[in-house]
Amino acid sequence: MNYLLHLLIYLNIYVMLALSLNLVVGYCGLLTLAHAGYFAIGAYTYALATLKLGMGFIPAGLLTVGVAAILSLAVSLPSWRFKGDFFVMISLAVQTLVFSLLHNWFSPNAQPGTWANLTNGPFGLAGISKPVIGSIKFATIGSIAALSTVLALSAGMVIWLFVSSPWGRLLKAMRDDELAARGLGKNTRLAKVQAMAIACAFAALAGAIYSSYVSYIDPSSASLDESILMLCMVLVGGVGNFRGPIVGAFVLLAIPELLRFAHLPDAVAANIRLLAYGGLLVAMAHFRPKGLAGEYRLE
Amino acid sequence: MQVLVNGLISGATIALLALAFAVVYLPTRVFHLALAGIYSLAPFLALSLFSAGVPWPICAVLAVAAGAAISLGCEWLNHDRLERKGAGPGLHLVSSLGIFIVIVQVVSMVWGNEVRTLRHGIDAVFSAGGVQLTRAQIIAGGTASGLLVLFYLWLRFSNLGLRFRALADNPVQLALFGYNVRRLRFLAFSLAGLFAAVASLVLAFDLGFDPHGGLQALLLAIVAVIIGGRDSFVGPVIAGFLLGVIRAEVVWYASARWQDAVTYLLLVLFLFLRPHGLLGKKARLEAQA
Repeated sequence: MNYLLHLLIYLNIYVMLALSLNLVVGYCGLLTLAHAGYFAIGAYTYALATLKLGMGFIPAGLLTVGVAAILSLAVSLPSWRFKGDFFVMISLAVQTLVFSLLHNWFSPNAQPGTWANLTNGPFGLAGISKPVIGSIKFATIGSIAALSTVLALSAGMVIWLFVSSPWGRLLKAMRDDELAARGLGKNTRLAKVQAMAIACAFAALAGAIYSSYVSYIDPSSASLDESILMLCMVLVGGVGNFRGPIVGAFVLLAIPELLRFAHLPDAVAANIRLLAYGGLLVAMAHFRPKGLAGEYRLE
Repeated sequence: MQVLVNGLISGATIALLALAFAVVYLPTRVFHLALAGIYSLAPFLALSLFSAGVPWPICAVLAVAAGAAISLGCEWLNHDRLERKGAGPGLHLVSSLGIFIVIVQVVSMVWGNEVRTLRHGIDAVFSAGGVQLTRAQIIAGGTASGLLVLFYLWLRFSNLGLRFRALADNPVQLALFGYNVRRLRFLAFSLAGLFAAVASLVLAFDLGFDPHGGLQALLLAIVAVIIGGRDSFVGPVIAGFLLGVIRAEVVWYASARWQDAVTYLLLVLFLFLRPHGLLGKKARLEAQA
């Protein structure tokens, strides 16, 4: 039972990440490699807010969302000018800078969480408390699963409302022909800033749940490999509509669990899993460029 | 002076890898990430052949040939077919990323994740004019610069090199003149694999290697290509040397931990202030991308 609840929590986190990444990849048409950076920013902000400032889940979550939405300007402002390969490189730069900061903001003499040693460098932050709302403590795995399900469902609902509104159609129009959208008097720059702020905020919220569940966070969750995995998830599932990313999250969660039952030796299990992701990407590009359930064909 | 020379030598290998990427990127606009897989694979192949008792020059040649062959395979089985289906650059990038993941995982399954070395013990050191160099550094710098010079001579003076420059300039018009663009693309991909494998081997001889270093090295080279300018074969090489020197100075004055951050800050500065790069032609980015 605990195993299923554990899977449910991960599924919720993946779904939130996939839906938020879909806003950038599927609705803005921009491949970003910085999403793991925002996931980690969320996780670290939540960790520091609860560890140092003693906040509960709701204020810490709101702070996380705010910080990520402001920092999303680092990818959204460049997207005014750059797309295609250039935007990939810009997002890679953001990703590397976030990772370097998390990895290097470290001094061996200071306590973790102080200004000189904010992120505790490669050792990460440990002992992050379980979520607390008011007087309710979410200490058991079942309660965290329930909390994460509520958050994932509300995130899904908010994103669904956004993408099915006129604003969502503006994003699609902008992705397909930005010049025409601007010609119709639409403010595409503002739309990009809004879309990325929402996407990064939800990624950060997923990071907050992750760090409160695992109660430990280190810079490896901001690494490029994580960004690539998130990208795999939405590309295999498909982008540009609401169901594609959810299918992708299911598939990417299902592959390692199915492989677990194939009784592979532990030494190669992780490799086989990544091998399957890589193979899926190549097969997807050839046979189903829209992804399993997507709507937008990557240019 | 010592720092400068160290930077120039590591710059030569960055430049070679940047050239490997540019040789494909300029003519075909394919974001050839699979090169990072070849970069990871080549030293492992050489090491295995060497332990099987093959003399080392043959090992090196075979590993480089395998690199070129895999890169050629990427074009033949993947990019060429996608191109005929009319795929855009995003799809090329994603499929190349998939190939890269597959190659790296196969390498790490077959050979394990440990850091390996191609040589044992302390390297011989030579000093001249107040600068000390190890034998491995001399080999790395010499091989990389030699190969760069050879490539430019070929590009400048041979008939095939002329056609290659034409391909980079305007592939559609070259095809209209009746040249076999497909064969030239095959040539571009094999050259890329060859350069990447050579760069990987000389660096592995100097510093050791593991399966996961490829992407970092290739991304550095891609930064050099963008800083250098996307429509010049010379720019990426100059930018490669520049990056090598800057990274060496960062290590000297600050710390090795900030190398990557400084590199990518430089990329961002270039993209905002001089988006066409050092030697590129000035054009609006929106028009190209």
